[in-house]
Amino acid sequence: MKNIIVGQYVPGKSFLYKMDPRSKILALGILMVSAFVFKDITHIIYMLFGVLLILKIGGIPIMRIARGLRPIMILLLFTFSFQVMFIKTGDVVLETVLTLTYINLGLMVLIILGWYFTRTYIKSRFLFLIFVILGILTMLSLFTPGITISSSNFVVYEDGLLGASFIMVRLIIIVTLSTILTLTTKPTDLNLGLEKILRPLNIVKINSEEIALIISIALRYIPTLLDEANKIMLAQASRGVDFSEGKIKDKVMQIISLLVPMFIISFKRSDDLANAMEARSFIPGNPRSRIHILAWENRDTIVIIFCIVVLISTIAVRVFL
Amino acid sequence: MNIIEIKDLSFAYREEFFALNDVNLTIKRGEWISILGHNGSGKSTLAKLIIGLLKAEKGEIYVDGVLLNEETVHEIRRKIGIVFQNPDNQFVGVTVEDDIAFGMENLNFDREDMLNKIEEYSKKVNMFEYLKKEPHNLSGGQKQRVAIAGILAMNTDIIIFDESTSMLDPKGRESIMEYIRDLNKEGKTIITITHDMKEAVNSDRIVILKDGKVLAVGETNTILNDKETLNSSNLELLLPLKLLYKLDEANIKNEKVKNILWQLSLNK
Repeated sequence: MKNIIVGQYVPGKSFLYKMDPRSKILALGILMVSAFVFKDITHIIYMLFGVLLILKIGGIPIMRIARGLRPIMILLLFTFSFQVMFIKTGDVVLETVLTLTYINLGLMVLIILGWYFTRTYIKSRFLFLIFVILGILTMLSLFTPGITISSSNFVVYEDGLLGASFIMVRLIIIVTLSTILTLTTKPTDLNLGLEKILRPLNIVKINSEEIALIISIALRYIPTLLDEANKIMLAQASRGVDFSEGKIKDKVMQIISLLVPMFIISFKRSDDLANAMEARSFIPGNPRSRIHILAWENRDTIVIIFCIVVLISTIAVRVFL
Repeated sequence: MNIIEIKDLSFAYREEFFALNDVNLTIKRGEWISILGHNGSGKSTLAKLIIGLLKAEKGEIYVDGVLLNEETVHEIRRKIGIVFQNPDNQFVGVTVEDDIAFGMENLNFDREDMLNKIEEYSKKVNMFEYLKKEPHNLSGGQKQRVAIAGILAMNTDIIIFDESTSMLDPKGRESIMEYIRDLNKEGKTIITITHDMKEAVNSDRIVILKDGKVLAVGETNTILNDKETLNSSNLELLLPLKLLYKLDEANIKNEKVKNILWQLSLNK
């Protein structure tokens, strides 16, 4: 419990690490807007190359980004399938009849069982899943002996395929860009940058400094609370709670036995912390000086100008082409 | 010269259940005073009242001649620093450096000034090498030292230690006591709040609280000689002191033994 790292920050020395967090957040925002302005598949693929170039400059290994993409893989697969299945305009790319017979139904069950038992041994599980799904679809269209149970037309249109790829690339670009930000910026710097960028919200009575303070306290207490949770789990385990097994009903009870003490302890802690802060002359809403300052340098200005140029040209492409 | 004056102070968490009842106390500038009491005697409540975290039902508190009320509370908090019991629950910053700076940031200190003070006081409490470390990599004693540095940086005249050593291991406890001793020598007024007599005997004067009332106030020597008061205070007596009393009861008059026991009671 001594090496808890909050966030994904990986120390490094490249250009991206030297940038001011404010300019990184702004650049992320501008580039994301550009990603949404593009409407054409070829243009967004150019942008994907641009993002790969940023990775190269930043010295960030592609594998690390791939790991960041893993949680949204299922989402990508779903959006892709839906786009392919439901957009029915444009030229027909593929037309086939999927036929379900008793024989290939049996084979399908066997394949699924095989997938279920071997998947834990395969390194890239997601690719394996796609491979299995494609395999089943191919079998249903080509290998159809025996008595037919049902059959249906399966048509893939050009627009569906393009639209699906387009949305996938756009999502990948957005997630990659935000992963780059969190990989190259310490949580505390990110917080400080957000505080400065959100400062205009003070006009509508939202105090960005207080939000930043709340985030920094949350960051500071995550390891402490994890430690606490660990202790409580051990204490409950010694009383016979088994956190690794059980039905859903038991699981709920296990979680309650963890959450109730966690809540009570957290309230006590926050009470103590509020006292300690007040005793050290903290007055909510009052201006505070800071030891951390951010240094905006020429490179930040250049990056922002570059991003704005990208945005303007994407708008131009959208309007005129 | 009194730095803190407390007059007829009463406080109740619930109605008719007084945690403090008509407490009168004066604390002199530059002295080290211990507030000694059993659990629930009201000693921590007293500390919270002095620094304005709780509001008294009745009575007055003067700090450096200023009456504590809603208008003066922030001014008074600049004169008093407090180190609480739980090392984790008073660590506000993400790193040691941030935590030492927290109080100064609240008081709107200059950045250069803050950086100098962080260096100076982190060196003073031997935490200079740890400035960039996060609290979960520190021991309890180290966290308490950071808390002390944070208060020193705010340059308060009075420092209250509210059971600050009770959650530490013996080594951490000894090091904190060492710092308290030094700070007192440098002219800070020190108030240590404790249930541990061993800690209290280090101070110049002792106040014994029992059930929200002041049972006795006096020089440490006088208090330790007052067998009846100590016995009625519900406190756990030090072993040498217990022995000394037993010798008295048995009418054994060996001056040498008594002298050794007395020195041991005073933690010397």
